[in-house]
Amino acid sequence: MKIRRRSKLLVEPPTHATGDIAFNLIVFFLVCASVQPETGREQEIPRADPKQEQSQQSENIEVSLTRNTVAINGTPVRMESFPQQLKSLLQGKRNASERIVVVKSKPDTPYEFWIAITGRIEELGGYVTLLLEEERTITLQ
Amino acid sequence: MKLKRRSISAEVPSMAMGDIAFNLLIFFFILARAQDDSHHQWKPATTNKADTASHVRAVVLVDVENKLYLDNQEISISQLGDKLERLLEGYPTGQRTVLLKISREAPASRFEPILAAVSEVGGELLHVLEKKDH
Repeated sequence: MKIRRRSKLLVEPPTHATGDIAFNLIVFFLVCASVQPETGREQEIPRADPKQEQSQQSENIEVSLTRNTVAINGTPVRMESFPQQLKSLLQGKRNASERIVVVKSKPDTPYEFWIAITGRIEELGGYVTLLLEEERTITLQ
Repeated sequence: MKLKRRSISAEVPSMAMGDIAFNLLIFFFILARAQDDSHHQWKPATTNKADTASHVRAVVLVDVENKLYLDNQEISISQLGDKLERLLEGYPTGQRTVLLKISREAPASRFEPILAAVSEVGGELLHVLEKKDH
């Protein structure tokens, strides 16, 4: 007499939780993708020093920016030759104070242009500092 | 002959309760992210190389309409210095990073006072920029 086995040898894995597993995986990847750290460029701008002598200020390299032009020490330069000219001015200056580059921007200078120029200055070893117009309240009597 | 009825028991299916609770936790975790500024519109400037931000204490954002936000709250430039000073209080040098998310078209009249204000209170600037695709 042939005895039939009651139990099946082939057991299928439980699949009723597959939808939940897939959904949770999607959520995990969404959360991981949304908490990526920000990337950017560090910058150190020296604090304003009111005691800095006028003579020292006049020795610093001055870069003037408008909406789409750049000038070094008052002389307009082409964008292509800006790195070369700045490099030659910074050459031989070993002290940090000698490598300060004063960046003066017109009010409508766009941020992207400012970032590009200051990035080049820092790549060439210059230290960027800002020249802002001072506001003073004058009382008329 | 008396037929006995089978007792019908109706139970609430509780097998998926753990999954439901877990998913709700995840949803609230995503919604409650404190520094979520994805609703502000701003276009980042670009750069060739980028460093990763660490020890971020504050986020300053200038959107496409030139509005200034500090940690998602709109403020004026005159309030920026004092508020930043309070946020950075007690942290040593190297752990005072201030993220700057400035829209690429923002004019110098907008962002230069911001840079000056952050530098005055000893904040360490990190401009958030998009890496250029070569």
